Amino acid sequence: MSNNNQVNSKVIETEVPLGTVHSAALEPYRVRLFVEDEYVRDAEITIGVNHRGIERIMEGLPVEKANALTEKICGICSHIHIWNSCLVAEKGLEIDVPPRAEYIRLIMSELERLHSHLLYLAHGCEVLGHETFSMRIFYIRETVMELLRMIGGNRVQYGVPVIGGIRPRSDLNEMRIQKISEGMDLIEEKMTEFADRFTRDPMIMSRITGVAALSKEDALRLAATGPTLRSTGVEVDLRRDMRQYDPFEFEVITQDDGDVKSNLLMRALEIFEAIKIIRQAVKDLPEGKITNRSWEMQDTGIIRSYIEAPRGKLYHSYRLEDGRVRNSIIRTPSITNINAMEHACIGTHITEAQLAIVQCDPCFTCTDRAIQIVDHPLKKTNKQNKII
Amino acid sequence: MDTSMIISSAIAVVGTLIIAFAVSVWLPGIERKFVQARIQQRVGPPISSPGLMAPIKFFFKEAVTPNSPMPRLYNAIPLISLIIVTAILLIIMPQMYFLGGLASIIAVVGLLKVEEITYMFMGSLSKSVLSVNMPFPDHAKGAKHVDATRSFIEELSTLRAFRLIAFGSFPLYIALFVPVAMSKSIYLSNIIAFQQLHGPVLFTVAGAIGAVVYFIGSMILLNEYPFAIMKTKADVIEGPMLEYMSKYRAYTYITKGLLIFVLASLFTTMFIGIPPNLFSPGILVTLATAIIFPILIASMSAFSPVFTFKQFYPVVAVTSILGAVAIAASFL
Repeated sequence: MSNNNQVNSKVIETEVPLGTVHSAALEPYRVRLFVEDEYVRDAEITIGVNHRGIERIMEGLPVEKANALTEKICGICSHIHIWNSCLVAEKGLEIDVPPRAEYIRLIMSELERLHSHLLYLAHGCEVLGHETFSMRIFYIRETVMELLRMIGGNRVQYGVPVIGGIRPRSDLNEMRIQKISEGMDLIEEKMTEFADRFTRDPMIMSRITGVAALSKEDALRLAATGPTLRSTGVEVDLRRDMRQYDPFEFEVITQDDGDVKSNLLMRALEIFEAIKIIRQAVKDLPEGKITNRSWEMQDTGIIRSYIEAPRGKLYHSYRLEDGRVRNSIIRTPSITNINAMEHACIGTHITEAQLAIVQCDPCFTCTDRAIQIVDHPLKKTNKQNKII
Repeated sequence: MDTSMIISSAIAVVGTLIIAFAVSVWLPGIERKFVQARIQQRVGPPISSPGLMAPIKFFFKEAVTPNSPMPRLYNAIPLISLIIVTAILLIIMPQMYFLGGLASIIAVVGLLKVEEITYMFMGSLSKSVLSVNMPFPDHAKGAKHVDATRSFIEELSTLRAFRLIAFGSFPLYIALFVPVAMSKSIYLSNIIAFQQLHGPVLFTVAGAIGAVVYFIGSMILLNEYPFAIMKTKADVIEGPMLEYMSKYRAYTYITKGLLIFVLASLFTTMFIGIPPNLFSPGILVTLATAIIFPILIASMSAFSPVFTFKQFYPVVAVTSILGAVAIAASFL
């Protein structure tokens, strides 16, 4: 035990453990809240109970199969994983992707951002105890889910990108474009109504304003990413640096306070930006091929790719050897946001601690990919001695 | 009192109780299906599911020993709670007014307090398996505050239940004393007689304010949203009631439905002057109030987030002040 822990243990008297399986949490993770008079003085979040070993399974698989497997990492932002994984291969093998395929990948990505943000808002309202708003957002989200199903064939795992382009069934014809446009109109109208109703509700505002605030300095120090970072006023969005997003005009949304209100508003406003991008993409959708098949497999060094997932910066890297994936590493945004989650809990009432964690949009099941194996020698007991 | 009168009174009491139980099992369903589900634009459960079918199902489930230091007492509390709620219904029936002091508002308040205190016992006797058992040690290398004393979330529920009893139930009890102040009697028979002579308390200014305060107090007593401070996400959704299973869980469901009915009956008795009585057409008023209550509760619950103490205290304070104003107005 360190001296620091000894000092702190004198200050923090009571620990309230939650989980790993807990009905207040959507996923299995361990939260230890250190409280004084029901106020959280410190928090510790531990993951590691849902490790699925995806990188290990990817090891040695043909690259196409490995890419398809990355989509299974997350049930919410599955497309962004397979897109980034394909980008790794395309970068390493220097494959040019046809512009039409780039646009369709981007449309899928923004649709996914829409459904992820809507899920976040619904979850946030549910944790606030406002079931009605939660249900109504799910009702709005249903339109996005149907659009995703129309393009990808599934509501969860769409499998749209392949190396060099997209799957043929995911190409957009006039009917699909029309449906996407109608869907965007509907979502925009309903989201405008919802945002107006939400921000005018004094009871909701009193529940979320100033709760679990994270300062800009803390967010940067704790390496927060994505909307969690932007909600503190830091204008960082990887989409600005991605060539795929160059043809589109959109604002990088920021909020100033870093509290639950800022985080909720942040996502709500980003929904309108995603709608704006999708509208531009379907309007200017280029004609032509959707897949470039004229490339050759070759061995590569380690290739890295970053992309802006709905929750923040997503990292994929691997190298290719005989067409198979080696040394795969994937890092999801929630792993860097864990520190921000812990920090946001501090100072909140215990009833708001779950809200403080949820405001950072955790996705722990997708994040659970680091494992440490400790060779623990058996203790020599008296019983063993007797046997010997 | 002759034998035929005793028999008819006994039939009235038993009949009213049967009707109360028969109606109360549908009330949670009405609340969730007809109001909340419609407001929330979802299908919702079958109307019989939350109050009737769920308890029947739970009666046939296997019970295992809960993770409690006194499991038998912990399991007995829902039944005790059900008996207390039934006792409240019994003493507000006109056939039971011969009990004298027991058929008074003091006895009703006392029994309601006991019903509230059961949540504290539930919390203190529950040790949730969800919070402690872990597949790996918490005190791993680098863990924070390894020597901190562990507390259970249910113990916090106990504290919250205590605060609910200490503060939250003020409005209900203040509102109950509005008809008492107007009739200048604590006996239910006198309060009803006063209203038969002067008209329902509800139709006076003091009574109308008192009725609003009573309604908010009922929501607090029923732990309904937004006053469900024992059901926040930091709790394990149902707080102290999480570990009830099998028939013990069924008792909690039945008690919830019956408590809605009892609070509605108490309202009609105190504010309209109509006690629950099988042999009186006034039973229809009681039944109508029993249906209106969950509908109103569900409507309010559907449009509000769960309050934390930051919102809870001011709301309770303002409602209690309103109740005090109603009592002051009743003297005018």
